[in-house]
Amino acid sequence: MSQLPWHSLSLNPLAAFGILLTLGVIGGQIANRAGRLPAITGYVLTGLIIGPASLHLLNQELLSAADLFVNLALGLALFESGRRVDLHWLRVERTLLLTTLCYCLAVFAALCALLLQGGLGWQASSMMAALGMATSPIVILEMLRETRAEGQVSERLTTATALSSVLSVIVFAIALSSAHLQNQHSTEDAILSPAWLILGSCLLGLLAGLLAIALNRWLGSQQRQRQTVLLFGLIALLVGLSVMLNTLPSLALLVFGLATRNLRGGHTVSEPGLLSSSHFFFVAFFVAAGAQLAPQALANHWPLALAYLLLRSAIPMLCWWLLAPQNCLSRQRGLWLGLALNPLSGGSAMLLGMSTLALGADASAFSGSMMAVFVISELAGPLLTRLALRRAGDIPSED
Amino acid sequence: MLHFNNSTPLTLGVELELMILNRRDYNLTRGSDDLLLLIDRQPHGYDIKPEITQGMIEIGTAIHQGSDTMLQELQGIRTLLVSSAQKLNLGLAGGGSHPFQHWSEQQIYPKERYQLVSELYGYLAKQFTVYGQHIHIGCPDGDSAIRLSHYLARYIPHFIALSASSPFYQGMDTLFQTSRLTSVNAFPLSGCMPCVENWTQFNAYFQHMAGLGIVASMKDFYWDIRPKPEYGTVEIRICDTPLDIVTPTLLAAYAQMLAHRCLKDEWHDIQAAHYHTYNYNRFQACRFGFDGVLVDGAAGQQIGLQEDLLSTLNALQPQARALNCEKELSLLRERALKRQSDSQWLRAIYRASGSLSEVVRRQSEHWMYGSTT
Repeated sequence: MSQLPWHSLSLNPLAAFGILLTLGVIGGQIANRAGRLPAITGYVLTGLIIGPASLHLLNQELLSAADLFVNLALGLALFESGRRVDLHWLRVERTLLLTTLCYCLAVFAALCALLLQGGLGWQASSMMAALGMATSPIVILEMLRETRAEGQVSERLTTATALSSVLSVIVFAIALSSAHLQNQHSTEDAILSPAWLILGSCLLGLLAGLLAIALNRWLGSQQRQRQTVLLFGLIALLVGLSVMLNTLPSLALLVFGLATRNLRGGHTVSEPGLLSSSHFFFVAFFVAAGAQLAPQALANHWPLALAYLLLRSAIPMLCWWLLAPQNCLSRQRGLWLGLALNPLSGGSAMLLGMSTLALGADASAFSGSMMAVFVISELAGPLLTRLALRRAGDIPSED
Repeated sequence: MLHFNNSTPLTLGVELELMILNRRDYNLTRGSDDLLLLIDRQPHGYDIKPEITQGMIEIGTAIHQGSDTMLQELQGIRTLLVSSAQKLNLGLAGGGSHPFQHWSEQQIYPKERYQLVSELYGYLAKQFTVYGQHIHIGCPDGDSAIRLSHYLARYIPHFIALSASSPFYQGMDTLFQTSRLTSVNAFPLSGCMPCVENWTQFNAYFQHMAGLGIVASMKDFYWDIRPKPEYGTVEIRICDTPLDIVTPTLLAAYAQMLAHRCLKDEWHDIQAAHYHTYNYNRFQACRFGFDGVLVDGAAGQQIGLQEDLLSTLNALQPQARALNCEKELSLLRERALKRQSDSQWLRAIYRASGSLSEVVRRQSEHWMYGSTT
């Protein structure tokens, strides 16, 4: 009788993925019905409850096994986010580009100052500040889908989100280079590695874009379903290759999306849009993200985390409020747009590993502070974005 | 009692309903408020207003003597609209219907009249997210307006074939040259004006309908052609919004030439029998465009739409000379001879690209910049 399966029952990766999806959907619904919270908050809370920090239904090993789906979700979101950047529009509407640059750099500078004051070293501060520049593409896209938001705030929000992610990754790579130099690592680590991170990722993304357009053309106009499958395949391949080649998957995927949107012939690469079929992966992503959270980090780092998040919210709000008229928005809608940019990028978690390698002694304080930031941001971010979109008038009224 | 405000005979004006699109996948987007807000930041004097759903906008010209000055005004309106739309990353396009929008996703514009229409007609109001061109022709009095309305009914299939630009609807090729009119047909007060002979009879009819509580104003009639007493015009409402801004002026010129003939010849052959074949001929034009076959009920004959249009255009030479629109007549004849329609062009793009999103992108580039690639 001792050989019966339930005596040594342990979850395999597929069962773990099933749990992520099933409990995620149930949690999302409960959050939505009982607390009128965004479904995303419900998914994250579900993850937090079943993850290693609480019930331990999913352990770290199973979460790592589900990484395949999580990375694919992130890939899909980043690709779609890149596709929202219309370079033609940015040429006409330079103020949008300038406003985004302005608030990102202001956030970076303010967070650096705060973290240095908080006792972190220059390298850890600059890396953590770089991560703070980016808004989460996956949260923004999912919130827009869930609320059916449309309008100038949403339009500018998606573009600013993608641009902030690109900027964040580039500044992060430069900060990483500086950290390597400071810690007297080899020249290769200090200069070549960050350069490879940026240029290699961009090149990979661009090549993927050109390949997608060429294959799309080769498949022919009547093969829409095959084109969609092909696109899924290319996104998965790019995520995998990017990891294999030690480049930045987030940057590569953003560039991939950007290339297909803006290069000739790329317009029809993603038709119908991938978002509706990506929802599966997105649910899994948010539950897994919730499971990775370690609320105990708040105990030691909550003051710094709170200050970090307050600054990160206030500066974009101030910048968009100031420059709202130049962006064809009322001041009030500018303010809401700044608030909607609140969710911290989920892709940042992928960069944490790289940072800890480069930081040496500062690594533990850095990871702890960042985890505390994530705990608050992942729970509050979607709620603030929904509130901002509603107040900005981009969410349609119920008929 | 409806009072007909007399206007200068044969003066012209057009209204065009346009699509507002996102530039990501070229679906309709709720952009009318943002667009109007930005446009109204600068003084312009043009008539630009919202329509029943938020993915629509309507532009109207001033009163013109001829189509050439009307074209200049339309170009001015387009320049203003395009510069604002570019800043907001919106696309604008002509065409009678959006090829793949879903009616249930549309939002009724928050204006009292549209909310009332929505309450009364339910889903029909959202399905009314279709885009038409309205042509106004000035009339000296109400009696002339009634005569002209009946006279133009005979030529409605021509207007349909010349403006047809809605072959796709809700993601499908309808096989029609214009699918837009099917949405209009669903309204109980659509179709054609009753066979009244003068303004007094029309007024009696209106009072009767108002007394029954069926209508409150002329706006409640969704007829293909209707008198517009407050403007002192007859309004042709059958055309799809063409894909460019030249075609609307050609259609207006055609209406003006026909009106000139009607008013100068003092046409008065108003008979209920003329309307027996009205819906059939209208269907033929919607379904087959220039290849439709029209039935002349009185003569008991059939004639091809293209042939009928060409012979009408040939007969309008004196009117074209009198109104100084021979160039417009020649362009119309050329289109009729080539069977050139916007619907064909849209289908050709779809055949080549397999993408309705690409179809709308090209539609938009064509309306905004006159580009055909």
